[in-house]
Amino acid sequence: MSNFNLTEDQQDCLQELINVAMGQASDQLARYLDTFVYLKVPSIEQVSSQSLIGTLNPSDTTVAVVSQGFFGYEGIRGEALLIYQPKDSDKLADLLGYEPDELSVEEQIIDLSSILTTTFLNVFASQIENQMSYSAPRLLASHKGAISEHIEQQSYNWDLALKVKITYQVTDYSFNCDMVLLIPESAIVNITDVLDRILASF
Amino acid sequence: MSLESYCANIVDRINTGVLILDLDYNIVMWNRFLQVHSNKSTENVIDKSVFDVFPELPRRWFERKLSSVIELNTQSFCSWEQRHHLFELPHTRPITTDSVYMAQNCTFLPVLDDSKITNICLLIEDVTDVYHYQTKLNTVLEQLALSNRIDGLTQIFNRKHWEECLAKEFSRARRYDHGLALIMFDLDCFKLLNDTFGHQGGDKVLIKVASLVQTLLRACDIFGRYGGEEFAIILPETDLTGALDVAERVRRSIAEMIVEFQDEIIHASVSVGVAVINPADTRYEDLISNTDIALYKAKNAGRNKVFAINELDEFV
Amino acid sequence: MSSSILICDDSNLARKQVLRSLPDILSADVQLATNGQEALELLTSQNFDILFLDLTMPILDGLGVLQGIKENNTNIAVFVISADIQPEMQSKVLSLGAKAFLKKPVKKEVLIEQLQQHGFL
Repeated sequence: MSNFNLTEDQQDCLQELINVAMGQASDQLARYLDTFVYLKVPSIEQVSSQSLIGTLNPSDTTVAVVSQGFFGYEGIRGEALLIYQPKDSDKLADLLGYEPDELSVEEQIIDLSSILTTTFLNVFASQIENQMSYSAPRLLASHKGAISEHIEQQSYNWDLALKVKITYQVTDYSFNCDMVLLIPESAIVNITDVLDRILASF
Repeated sequence: MSLESYCANIVDRINTGVLILDLDYNIVMWNRFLQVHSNKSTENVIDKSVFDVFPELPRRWFERKLSSVIELNTQSFCSWEQRHHLFELPHTRPITTDSVYMAQNCTFLPVLDDSKITNICLLIEDVTDVYHYQTKLNTVLEQLALSNRIDGLTQIFNRKHWEECLAKEFSRARRYDHGLALIMFDLDCFKLLNDTFGHQGGDKVLIKVASLVQTLLRACDIFGRYGGEEFAIILPETDLTGALDVAERVRRSIAEMIVEFQDEIIHASVSVGVAVINPADTRYEDLISNTDIALYKAKNAGRNKVFAINELDEFV
Repeated sequence: MSSSILICDDSNLARKQVLRSLPDILSADVQLATNGQEALELLTSQNFDILFLDLTMPILDGLGVLQGIKENNTNIAVFVISADIQPEMQSKVLSLGAKAFLKKPVKKEVLIEQLQQHGFL
């Protein structure tokens, strides 16, 4: 198991790219959803496969986790997990502009997840002159027990991953959810190559 | 052949529907897959509104979905797990599956010209196979989960599941300081009954007792077969008076019950023990032991009786 | 004309982006702060003409700095450079006294245009 600790400069560079992507994605979201999205400083850290469930920290009340894979040029790939708390799901249909009886709560959660993931990663990719494709989003589990089970039962073919956690807060709906991007070990070197290229341009 | 005609050739031969719309939802192009499956002629489709050609589409939902693709310039998805299908198309396994229409995974892609969106491309995949096997799997999993909880003879909860329920109810009662009562009852002289009428007679009595007692309980009460001829009932948020009332009804109903077996009439009775959650109880097993002691007292007192232990460990 | 400049951003990369975008005539007298609190401390001990200010920062964010400047009556031209480009945020910083709002990542021609507009070039 090798440590891939990012250098301070790489970490700073990634953080700034994420900040800018978050900003533009939130702006698009705010216009589309007609509300204000509050931004927090994202966290970037290294996780091991054993500690993944602990760092995702699904609370007793977590209702849903949605997964969506992403992949771009230069071997940039990973998986996005969207983690929801129960109070978040009440007003989703209203937020998305649907009538509540037009779609199930599950569909609302999947729809919103896809919007959050793709808007953010599209902007992120364009900053590093890349382009992302996505797999269809899937509901991994719809309550706490199931998500812990799902993750704990897996035996992974990776030891370490780069984890980026972004919290979305939508003020008018007192709604928030965590978007966790997990980049597996094999793709991290591809990310650091891109970061080094950007840093070298300064 | 040019690259363009290669592509056109492939688009017409893949097993995925391709539908291209303009931003006013009119159909600009479709491929052979859709033409064949929808059995419509191309001239009645091109330049027509997608809602006129496919009136089965949920219009408001579909428009909002497309607006997210247009405004956010990003792809969107629709899975068969949330919506079995969008387009009412026949599928390729009409004989060996029970699906009326083709189950579909749909992808909505923005089509860009110089980074400005000009069209929307829908990809429609036939996932009837996936739907069919997943549905079968879910049915089997449900049956498996059920048979893991149910006692095969009496069709009430088995001991393992019943104890899991008790553990949950016990910790809930502790956490919220709610009442909790337990009833355990045992068929009197069951060995003698088996010897007289045979095991089939005994089984019939067990089945009748289980179905009879079930009718006396509230929806929130949890009833299970604890052992051979021993049954147990969890009564959430119930005090001793309430529990004694239920216990007495159980005792009386079974004493009055008549089981017909091979032209003979079988009568039975039960001894009943009752206990309520006690401040000194730290584990749910403590509540079981107290109820068991009360049951033992009831048996020793001459059978067909109800005995209880109250909060102060006194017999009632 | 020479002006003294303070750049406040928690990101090293973002600070460099601003520095690189400054015209040579202004890049002689520049100091850096990595969060809002550092910036306010520098502003009380020294005089600056221009502050380039990020919004999303640890310890004290950009809105806090704008409020501090207002309370202390500090005479300084603030240009907010942020990734948080929602219209609501833009009008908020302008109402708190910022001269202009610039989108991240900052571009040289945009920065120069703004400096010209406010008489620093």
